Amino acid sequence: MSKSSQVAVQKVVQKRRVWTGARSVAEAVKLADVDVIAAYPIRPYTGIMNALATMIAGGDFYAEYLVCDSEHSQFEVVKHASAVGARTFVGSSGTGLIYGSEAVIVTALGQLPVVGIVGCRSLDDPGNFGMEWNDAFLFRDVGWLMAWSKDPQEALEMTLIAYRIAEDSRVLLPHFVALDGAAITHIASPVTPPTKEQVTKFLPPYKPLHPLDPAYEVVSKAMHIAPSLIGPEQRKSLDAAMKRAKNIVIPEVWKAWGNMFGRDCSPFFEETQMEDADYAILSMGAYSRNVDYVVEKMRNSGIKVGSLRLKYLRPFPTEELARALDGVKGVGVVDFSYSLGSPGNGSVLYNEVRAALYESKQRPLIMDYIFAGGREMTLPELENSIQALIESVKKGSVDKPVRWVTVRGEDE
Amino acid sequence: MNDEAKLISKLTEIPEEDYYVSGHRTCAGCGPALGYRLVLKAAGPNTIVLGPTGCMYVANGHQFLSSPYAVPWYHTQLGAGGPAGIGTAAALRALMFKGKRKREDVNVVVYGGDGGMSDIGLSGLSMGLTYDYPHLLYLIYDNESYANTGVQASSTTPFGASTTFTPSGKIKPIGNERLKKDMALIAAAHPSIGYVATASVSHPVDLVNKVRKALFSGRPSLVQLLTPCPKGWAFPPEETIELGQMAVKTGIWALWEYENGHFRITSKPTARKNIREYVMKQGRFSHLWRNEAALEYLQLSVDEQWRYWEEMDKIGKIILPWTPSYNRE
Repeated sequence: MSKSSQVAVQKVVQKRRVWTGARSVAEAVKLADVDVIAAYPIRPYTGIMNALATMIAGGDFYAEYLVCDSEHSQFEVVKHASAVGARTFVGSSGTGLIYGSEAVIVTALGQLPVVGIVGCRSLDDPGNFGMEWNDAFLFRDVGWLMAWSKDPQEALEMTLIAYRIAEDSRVLLPHFVALDGAAITHIASPVTPPTKEQVTKFLPPYKPLHPLDPAYEVVSKAMHIAPSLIGPEQRKSLDAAMKRAKNIVIPEVWKAWGNMFGRDCSPFFEETQMEDADYAILSMGAYSRNVDYVVEKMRNSGIKVGSLRLKYLRPFPTEELARALDGVKGVGVVDFSYSLGSPGNGSVLYNEVRAALYESKQRPLIMDYIFAGGREMTLPELENSIQALIESVKKGSVDKPVRWVTVRGEDE
Repeated sequence: MNDEAKLISKLTEIPEEDYYVSGHRTCAGCGPALGYRLVLKAAGPNTIVLGPTGCMYVANGHQFLSSPYAVPWYHTQLGAGGPAGIGTAAALRALMFKGKRKREDVNVVVYGGDGGMSDIGLSGLSMGLTYDYPHLLYLIYDNESYANTGVQASSTTPFGASTTFTPSGKIKPIGNERLKKDMALIAAAHPSIGYVATASVSHPVDLVNKVRKALFSGRPSLVQLLTPCPKGWAFPPEETIELGQMAVKTGIWALWEYENGHFRITSKPTARKNIREYVMKQGRFSHLWRNEAALEYLQLSVDEQWRYWEEMDKIGKIILPWTPSYNRE
């Protein structure tokens, strides 16, 4: 082998890695040169913090790494570090995230661009390692941006993209990146990380407008005042930031990311076989791969079904969704959540999609495929569910829109 | 670390400059507000203050959008004093280390109440006390109740005090039957703690020195500051200082410090006054004014504690005091 070809081979080997989602996110945090990290263990997100601790102990990069006493302290640490002007990283899963909820909520109201990972996990009781979205969904209303990654590669990219969006002065909102527990956090797959130079070019340093630091001006932040004085305006300013994120900043940043690699990066959706689809299966996260597989299989039998993967739950791309589903007659929502007693007794994402399509000129039939409680989705179950959607569209109505797919027996 | 703490010996040496100024709406005679003023005088302008929820959060706000803080200040949640201090100190260190900010000593003072720091925030505070950030002071302003929400008992409320959660009644005549938790001793149990002390707003020179020693100890530190509360303790607002003095003179509040592993009583009452002189001044104890058994017990518990304080002072080490419980019959 000649010397030049050895070099060429080495370059390729360096570029492509096989990483779990946890390791991928840790690499993103290192590339982003994060200043303060707050850790507390709970499966399945913990692997990220394990990887970061190893990197820092080994001198791969420097950050203040705080081993906390609880998730509440974790989120408070990064909130206050962010207020001073540090780039911060945090994460949690399941009931742990809920334990930190008070701190999670004030981070958004403080307009602090913390980036956090949710390694999605079923809520207790009983203890359950299965994947479920209810841990993350509990924060859908409080001003955090929320994106769902599909694999370790995208987990890495979304983390870097999250910093740029969150820290943009037109947004200044915290940002969750969700990794479906086990399916992404623990499964290794090929990852091609960006170079340090590319990330430095893409992600400018975080410069807060009003750092909590005596080297700058004197700031009193979050004073307790008469409730009617700024409460509504404060929430409205978060609302405005969320709208700017959706309409301007998120599309802008994904475009910039795509340009750097000569890729076409759609900000809100990944579409598979959607061009002429009569039926669309809407999903988020890791299991969209399963949907794609079943869709391709059914396409081979001549069924005009497509897969639409949603990247952001917050901000929710309402008009964009209506456009993406234009001409579609039936939509099946693959949902790993439950929302007991909700409209239609459906799950969270299902009701979000229904609400988003309410204003559409031609509303498709919508079905809810619930995979709650941490049970895996099987491909035949998914295919049967899609068949039920097709039959409903042919009939012109849905008998049973909400299906607890893996659960036997009927309602009382 | 670079410099030594600048200590003072008389009242006139306390800086004239204030960093806790007008623009709040605390009660007349408010002990915690006076504490705020003295602590920030001691700390100086290069300070970040973090305020957990409590009366010093709610009463320091104002409907006219004014702020009493002349240094950077940020609210933190009721149980978040510990991590708020750590997050702030960690950010400063990281930014300085990476050259993103000028290298200098910046004080971080968490000014939290007894409920926030000794109940809901104890776990996070304990976490904070195990780290190595310098110039980080956890100050517990101890008015012995959740005064902000209408005076409910906390775990530092003394035996016998009536609060809205521990009223005196026919079946439960004592009021609060639990003994006051000793937060400063709990802080001292953290093996690498920089400095721990108790203080009282009635002893301002001592307080200023203790705050400065804490900030210059090179590690996180804790000062538990007794701040009499006219509203919660039910006494006339002009008697705040007198109440603080009486707490020290009767010995129910011992002033001590723990520095580099060495314990020292900083104000030793020569002849301790009877606890009745302290109790009779406060409405929160009025149901005990004629309860001789309870008063006897209070005196006994103070005497018992002082056997330990004196021994500790003699050997310069901490021994955990133990108090016999109240015998109902």
